[in-house]
Amino acid sequence: MTWLTWRQFRAQALTAISALAVFAVLLAATGPHLASLYATSGISGCQATSCEHLASNFLQQLYAAGTYWVLYLLGVVIILLAPALIGLFWGAPLIARELETGTSALAWNQSITRTRWLAVKLTLTGLGAMALTEGLSLMQAWWAAPIGRAVGHGAGGTNLAMGRFSSLVFATHGITPLGYAAFAFTLGVTAGALIRRTVPAMAVTLAIFAAAQIAMPLWIRPHLFPAHHTVIPVASLESISLQQGGLNGRSFALSAENLPGQPGAWLLSSGAVNAAGHPVSTTPAACTAQSVDNDTPAFLGCLDSHGIREAVSYQPTSRYWAFQWTEAAIYLALALALAGYCFRRLGRRLS
Amino acid sequence: MTAVIETGSLGKRYRRLWALSDCTLSVPAGHVVGLVGPNGAGKTTLLSLATGNLLPTTGTIEVLGGRPAAGQAQLARVGYLAQDAPVYTGLSVAEHLRLGARLNPGWDAGLARSRVERLDLDTGQKAGTLSGGQRAQLALTLAVAKRPELLILDEPVASLDPLARREFLQDLMEATAEQGLSVVLSSHLVGDLERVCDYLIVLVGSRVRLAGPLEELLAGHHLLSGPRRDPRSLPDSMQVISASHTDVQSTLLVRTSGPVLDPAWMVSEVALEDLVLGYMSQATGRGRRNHLEVQR
Amino acid sequence: MIEFHLDGRSGVAPYLQLIHQVRHALRLGLLREGDQLPKVKDVAAGLAINPNTVLKAYRELEYEGLAAARPGIGTFVTGTLGDGASLAAHGPLRRDLQRWLAKARGAGLDEESIEALFVSTFRSAREEDIA
Repeated sequence: MTWLTWRQFRAQALTAISALAVFAVLLAATGPHLASLYATSGISGCQATSCEHLASNFLQQLYAAGTYWVLYLLGVVIILLAPALIGLFWGAPLIARELETGTSALAWNQSITRTRWLAVKLTLTGLGAMALTEGLSLMQAWWAAPIGRAVGHGAGGTNLAMGRFSSLVFATHGITPLGYAAFAFTLGVTAGALIRRTVPAMAVTLAIFAAAQIAMPLWIRPHLFPAHHTVIPVASLESISLQQGGLNGRSFALSAENLPGQPGAWLLSSGAVNAAGHPVSTTPAACTAQSVDNDTPAFLGCLDSHGIREAVSYQPTSRYWAFQWTEAAIYLALALALAGYCFRRLGRRLS
Repeated sequence: MTAVIETGSLGKRYRRLWALSDCTLSVPAGHVVGLVGPNGAGKTTLLSLATGNLLPTTGTIEVLGGRPAAGQAQLARVGYLAQDAPVYTGLSVAEHLRLGARLNPGWDAGLARSRVERLDLDTGQKAGTLSGGQRAQLALTLAVAKRPELLILDEPVASLDPLARREFLQDLMEATAEQGLSVVLSSHLVGDLERVCDYLIVLVGSRVRLAGPLEELLAGHHLLSGPRRDPRSLPDSMQVISASHTDVQSTLLVRTSGPVLDPAWMVSEVALEDLVLGYMSQATGRGRRNHLEVQR
Repeated sequence: MIEFHLDGRSGVAPYLQLIHQVRHALRLGLLREGDQLPKVKDVAAGLAINPNTVLKAYRELEYEGLAAARPGIGTFVTGTLGDGASLAAHGPLRRDLQRWLAKARGAGLDEESIEALFVSTFRSAREEDIA
């Protein structure tokens, strides 16, 4: 059964391995240079105050060079797409193709039970799926390590400066890719078992997987652990986004982009609150002048004098791995549940 | 003799439609059993229940004394050839044999090899490029080389040309003789069945209409032809299966254990084709039109 | 070794046809005592017929004392058809029959009636022998 699984899977496996190889070559060709750029940037021996500046310079340099940004993005896209492609091309056809072509009658009447047939196929192909995706992720992580370190030093100001809690980075680093791969794969197999036709099963798998991958970072991940809340003085904010609007600058929205004293924290939401702790969006009358003049520090000072402060909810950076493990566990549990369902369904005789 | 297939009020329903109802059979071992009936009568359903591809809605079925597809041992004893002989189009002939060897503990590699040689199949050729007859032969090789006790074939020759059909049946008979197989094959081609089967099951409209040793059934049925008569006027010992009338003449298919003594009747022996058509028209109530193909 | 064939249209059961062909071969001297009959497997494969049919024919021949099965080896001819084997030796019988046929035609019987008369008399005579 092992041989048969491999033989039927051969084409897909070889495609995946060649893609992996091409990716590896690209990374290997540019990785050392990236590392040397980092080494010469002076970040490694930096003093606390200059670190952020050096790191930002480094990232801006990379971004301006063009190739690194493209490769970085390419890596991220590949890792995000891999589970979906696995679900479509490895998962959906697993059962559906056999039913469609009628070869299930051949396979399931050899001296092997359906349960064992499915067990070997799921395990071998599923492990392959997880290994492939995680392999891609690890290669990318090795290559982008200098970037990650720069971000860790507080670099900002370019697209490359994505924190590790950001949607793209969180989903492509750590162990979450393992979970996604397992889930997408078993989702594909289940869709194939229920729909019994490969192409519709692929469509359904893609739709459901995409929905899950959108829902998770938007609505589920932020709530995996209870958020920390804190209220900080408006003036202490280092990096903000201030929007003023309305007639004569009568309304404003103030959101923090990082939390002083909590580098790398994941900001979930932030907004101005008054002294009583209630959200505030109307500009105090006395401050409209500064808002009209677009004089940000003065405006903030004015808000501060009216007792307006910034309320921030966030997840501390120390929880990064807790989030990773939890999210991976959720996806793995889903994968196991789907696999279990497939076994039951197969046992009840599909045809 | 033990039964290869034993069913008790077996039934299978898909949503609202009963594909098979109230099927009680005891199929003896050591025979080539022909399962015949029009398309949609339930033949594939019955065979799928026997191989364990389907679970019954009601009733029971036992194959070789065990539950169908209950485990590796049970699966090893039953060989199956599905309709249109599905094979893995991307795998070569040799790889199919390897599949058989890896997935069947009872695999007879020598038998498989000699069959493939005799059939002149190129072992490196992809199964998708084989002709229909060659595919059927490859599938038969896979089913037979695992040395089963029972072989189940669903319309094995329906889509083959006459020569391929003939060769397939020859091979099937040889394997049956050599390995002492019990065979159950379904077909709507009556001509093939007559030579090859010695036990008959007629399935029409999801019910078993007739089952028994072919010779006995043929001997117990007669075609009566004579002056026009109401079938109900015949003695009770004669069971009228089907009747057709002109204004002056009646032709009846009857089942009876004794001789036909009434001199008004011209009695002829019944061939398998007449027998099956008679039961089909009895079931559907239509005398003339039917879906049974007669090929010789 | 002899080869069998089947006439699908004759209305005669296949196993009977096989028996007739063996007896015919014996009569013509194509089969002699000690010769092996074709293997069941080969006959079944060659004619695409049920092996049980061949077995039935061979068993019937055994019962008639014409053949014997040697397990694992095959079925072999053991007897002859008696000294009536040669058709050529029955000239007088043939001439009697020809005279009878002439009489039947003279009586106005057509061919089918002659055949029917012969067959029914033949069969009832056989049944009397059995009874």
